[in-house]
Amino acid sequence: MNRGVLDELLSIARGPYPLLRAWKKESQRKIIGSTLTDVPEELIHAAGLVPFTIVGTNKPIMKASVHLPDNACSQARSDLELVLTYERDFFDGYVLPQVDDTSQHLCDIWRRNVPWDYFESFLLPRQVDRPSARKWLLDETLRLKGSLESFTGNEISEAGLLESIGLYNQNRQHLRRLYEMKRTSHHFMGNREFFDIIKSSMWWPKEEHNRLLERLISSIDKTDLKDKGDEGIRVVLSGIVWEPPEIMDILDESGLKVVGDDLCVGWRYIGADVEMDGNPLRAIVNRHFKKGPFTPINDKGDRIFENLLDLVRKNRAKAVIYFHIKFNESQDFDLPDLVDNMEREGVPIFVVETEYQTTHLAGVRTRIQAFGESLAEE
Amino acid sequence: MIAEQAEKRPKAKDVMKQLTRDYYEGALKAHEENRFIAYTTAVSPVELFYAHDIIPIYPENHSVMCLSGRMMPRLSLEIEKRGYTSHLCAYARSDLGYREVGESPIGGIPDPDFLLACNAQCFTLTKWFQVLSRRYGVQVFVFDTPQYIRKKDARKNIIRYVEQQLSEMIEALEELTGRKFDYDRLKEVLGYSAEASRLYKEFLDLASIKPSPISIFDALIHMAITVYLRGTKEAVDYYRLLIEEIKEEKVSKGIGVIPNERFRLYWENLPIWFKFRDHSEFLAAHNAVILTSLYAHAWSYDFDVSDPMRTLAENYTSVFSNVELEERAERAISLFRQYSLNGNIMFLNRSCKAVTFGVLELKDMITEETGIPALVFESDMGDPRFYSEVQIRTRLEAYLETLDRLGVG
Repeated sequence: MNRGVLDELLSIARGPYPLLRAWKKESQRKIIGSTLTDVPEELIHAAGLVPFTIVGTNKPIMKASVHLPDNACSQARSDLELVLTYERDFFDGYVLPQVDDTSQHLCDIWRRNVPWDYFESFLLPRQVDRPSARKWLLDETLRLKGSLESFTGNEISEAGLLESIGLYNQNRQHLRRLYEMKRTSHHFMGNREFFDIIKSSMWWPKEEHNRLLERLISSIDKTDLKDKGDEGIRVVLSGIVWEPPEIMDILDESGLKVVGDDLCVGWRYIGADVEMDGNPLRAIVNRHFKKGPFTPINDKGDRIFENLLDLVRKNRAKAVIYFHIKFNESQDFDLPDLVDNMEREGVPIFVVETEYQTTHLAGVRTRIQAFGESLAEE
Repeated sequence: MIAEQAEKRPKAKDVMKQLTRDYYEGALKAHEENRFIAYTTAVSPVELFYAHDIIPIYPENHSVMCLSGRMMPRLSLEIEKRGYTSHLCAYARSDLGYREVGESPIGGIPDPDFLLACNAQCFTLTKWFQVLSRRYGVQVFVFDTPQYIRKKDARKNIIRYVEQQLSEMIEALEELTGRKFDYDRLKEVLGYSAEASRLYKEFLDLASIKPSPISIFDALIHMAITVYLRGTKEAVDYYRLLIEEIKEEKVSKGIGVIPNERFRLYWENLPIWFKFRDHSEFLAAHNAVILTSLYAHAWSYDFDVSDPMRTLAENYTSVFSNVELEERAERAISLFRQYSLNGNIMFLNRSCKAVTFGVLELKDMITEETGIPALVFESDMGDPRFYSEVQIRTRLEAYLETLDRLGVG
């Protein structure tokens, strides 16, 4: 495997802003930031803009608390802090999705306090179990298209949109291919490395990212995929984000190998493609409904639990590690029943309460290691 | 003659007690009588339930009774043992705790056959009702109302989406009951809702009179009827009676709700239910009275009965908690003007994220426009563990002293 390319991808994930500032200066492209999750990046790309998924900051919170109370989850506070303090002039505009009370308020606070040339709220359906949701999302996607066109002054053509979709599909396919190699080979790639690559995809222009992934994948040979020693303990990750990123290192150190996930900074970003035949806008909408369950969005039955159990069984995982962002209300309501249900099915589940800005991870490390050891003994 | 009529007329508070008793007793017998129970949220198109002879039950209202009856933190502790955190909505904690221990000030509420969560009011309800859905094996119908942003094209689409969901809800109710929905009955129910809402607003607006014959505490007590009985003739009759009574007993005689009214205050957020009366008395002793709140106005609907689906969609989507902050601020500022308010108490309610997350921003917007300083404090609407008596009283006193120093009132 070409270590140089891998390092390039990892350096993007570990500090995208200086690199992207240089790229932006040279390319003269406009960058549009979106918070998690589900904004149709293909549409922003087809408008000639560069989509960027904001995943907060682990630097100290200084200004966000003036606008948003401390019992808002650290995901929201860190996203706001990033654009209030650390990267205030980096973005040219924003498309912020709404899925719950926090993201709804965040849109208003952001619009009023952060400088922008372009701002749009993207009102995602908060139910996906009835026909009205699909029709609504199509209306909202069309509205976003019109709004982007007004901003750039250029029409988004069907051919242009299909080209962007192709580019994004290709990126997702490359990432899924890497994931499959990680799943099937014992020591092909660590958890932190792999998930950092997904993060880098959310941040780096897709054309360039695809080139990097192609170089990386073509450099992988049999020795990289050859099993060496124990496989480790196969686990599935659940949640939204994996922050601070060092918790992924702790999984690596503890011999826990991620073979599946339902994270927004993970499978939700790469799992489903947009169909290339038919109306591209409808195809973008269809993709949204193929993504699987997400905690704020209501679906039939108990999809979150069913999907997680399916991920465990399909991937022959031994346990679930759930990243719970403190003060995330949606997760707060899911967890007690989810834990009971997984345990009833005989699947150990370990809940890690995380927050951005956490610097002392010794306690988390000890608990994850102990969990790993208990699984190894079974 | 008029005095005789007034003597014969029942007292509004007695009528309210009777209506509440009848409503809950009727609900408890519903399943014996083969009628269906729908759990719903305070801001939701309840007219569809009344039109289809389904009894709406509001777990939130039951929670208010538990919180006012000081059953917290006991109920919360029961569910905290199960892993629910103490920073969730106090209504939800109280309700889930009630379901664990079965204790209730009114002997409980019946189990649901249908769950409707309208997220215009808050997103929390969806998650809370999902827990109930798993418990009772009943699907949640999320009545999804995207934020009513101030863009013409978006608003047109939003109303279309919400109207489509009203049709989906009707289909779901027909499936539940096996009966066809009666659209003529919906018009009749909506007529009652429209009139009850108009009268409820007229009642709230009595607080614009100087001295005010009512306070926010009266509003919060009497709003219960429009929350759970709008859509019925009883609600209309009730508000007529209430308004007549207040006009006769107080307005006509120039009697205010407190003797020496000086500070006419706005309150942002839900009340602190278990401190309800204490706050009223404490403020009155300082010649201050809270007169209104956007929260109390959340049920001041303006229905157009000629187009039921459209008007239901518009009214339930445009509630104060679902509009952009600028619009919410404008609505609050118009209350300052209409009610001649001269003080502003802004409560950061740790267990209501939907209303609270905009408050810090809202405070600046209102102060900038009105020039009236605001008191901001944090606590919880239902959990005394997060209420600091001394600190809050001291802050209220200091705030009133500030108003005094500024020569307000």
